[in-house]
Amino acid sequence: MKGHEPSYSMEERRTLPSGEEEFFFDVKTSDLEVNMGPQHPATHGVMRVLIRCDGELVTGAQAHLGYLHRCAEKIGENVEWLQYLPYTDRYDYLAAMNNNLGYSMAVEALMPGFEVPRRAVMLRTICVELNRIASHLVAYGTYGLDIGAITPFLYAFREREWIQALFEKICGARLTYSYIRIGGVFNDAPPGWLTEVGHFCDVFEEKWKEYRDLLALNHIFIKRTANVGVIPKDMAIDFGLTGPMLRGSGVDFDLRRDIPYMAYGEAHEAGAFDVPVGEGEKGELGDCWDRFSVRVQEMMESIKLVRWCLEMIEDGPIIGDVPKVLKVPPGEAYVGIENPRGELGHYVHSDGGKIAVRCRVRGPSFTNLAVIEELMVGTLLADSVAIIGSTDIVVGETDR
Amino acid sequence: MELQAIYDTLTAAKVAGLLGCDEPRPSNKKEKDPGRSGLPFLMVDPAEIVPLLTACRDMPLLQFDLLIDLSAADPAADGEDLWVLIQLLSLKHRHRLAIKACLPKSALIMSSATAVYRAANWHERECSEMFGITFEGHPDPRKILLPDDWDGYPLRKDYEFPTEYHGISCE
Repeated sequence: MKGHEPSYSMEERRTLPSGEEEFFFDVKTSDLEVNMGPQHPATHGVMRVLIRCDGELVTGAQAHLGYLHRCAEKIGENVEWLQYLPYTDRYDYLAAMNNNLGYSMAVEALMPGFEVPRRAVMLRTICVELNRIASHLVAYGTYGLDIGAITPFLYAFREREWIQALFEKICGARLTYSYIRIGGVFNDAPPGWLTEVGHFCDVFEEKWKEYRDLLALNHIFIKRTANVGVIPKDMAIDFGLTGPMLRGSGVDFDLRRDIPYMAYGEAHEAGAFDVPVGEGEKGELGDCWDRFSVRVQEMMESIKLVRWCLEMIEDGPIIGDVPKVLKVPPGEAYVGIENPRGELGHYVHSDGGKIAVRCRVRGPSFTNLAVIEELMVGTLLADSVAIIGSTDIVVGETDR
Repeated sequence: MELQAIYDTLTAAKVAGLLGCDEPRPSNKKEKDPGRSGLPFLMVDPAEIVPLLTACRDMPLLQFDLLIDLSAADPAADGEDLWVLIQLLSLKHRHRLAIKACLPKSALIMSSATAVYRAANWHERECSEMFGITFEGHPDPRKILLPDDWDGYPLRKDYEFPTEYHGISCE
């Protein structure tokens, strides 16, 4: 071609001894904005992460929430105390028992002198801990799925199915239970239910070892998660992370042990459970693997707690004296409990009437998610999925 | 540590903005006081929120290193104030602190706590879209849960439910 200027300078060209010509080009890329979601399997629901990337490198991330916003807090100000309970099932739908408990405990905190019967406390603890296992099983399975391991997901759902069947027997629902009511629980364990829970614990203990070996100690899995998405201790605290996200960064704090509620203080004194904390076993402390590992270990601690409850449970009433149309004494209370994802807080304000004046929900997923905007910057695009998965969010709760 | 002890510690360190403690009390029929149950609150001046939170975080006796929650409440439609409610937690001392700041509805503006706790970022965004509070110095004051073109502040008691949204009837 006449007059054609070569697009390279002489410095970018070199002749090899073989006579072949070699070129060095500085490939200049520009930032590209990619929408991850709202419909994306790795966001675990309808959430959108706007990722800015330069080639394979993530240079910015912005989470866009609100696709699943259902005004839970506004509904709380418009329905009666007990009527709000089914709505609590629907924010963290993987751990609905825990939500029921958090809300019930917040309302009970407004009733001075009210005490939940002992049998109800034990049934509550059993259900909450079983639900924690079910929730961590989903976290375990879907995290594998996110980064390409399909088999563990199918195994995890087999055990989760059993837990759901157990819940169906005690309250009739498989996902949105409304089982834990203000004042206690609404149904006693059917005959043989506690024995079956004991049987589940025995079987699960054996399966759990397989699960750990299958995914957590899997070489490929470790390669994908160790040293990825490291949250140092200070950063975890600054961002207000709670639950496995905080413990994965090496902070030894669990509300069940450190600010005990229900029978957890007693259980811990009896040595019924420990608090697993990330140790940086496979990589740097606070990486995705640590967070995942904390969840896997917590399942076993929950089994120990369930076993302790099965020993301690005794006959008695299952619900305190709570009227059908509840009028809660005036006051304000905040109760935070340890949900599978962190601290689930309820602030309730009553003026003495049938309806709350304010019902605030502090969802752990919401605060835990905030960290990804900072965490994803500077990582590879493929790792962004591993990072979002390791936060184990439920979009129903981030958006409420 | 109990609230009164926390209050005394903060007073001894001459931290600005302390207005007192709001403790739960039993009902008193003679004075027609319905009483209040639940949680004790530390009442603070919203103008001094940043130095106060900094003191809560940094004083070795308190060490509230986790901001658990920041939200607001509208106690009454005809009331003059909104309440800003902050929940703090100390990992070391294992105690909690509930802070309440009364913000007049005529001037819903206060400084952002993001400089003290980065956890405040999303909570303040939610709080400002739901109640219309402006947090001065917030790094990213966009809406978070609501659509960008949403009118009104839904969690205020005087909020009127919309009748339509982009031509879709809501009635």
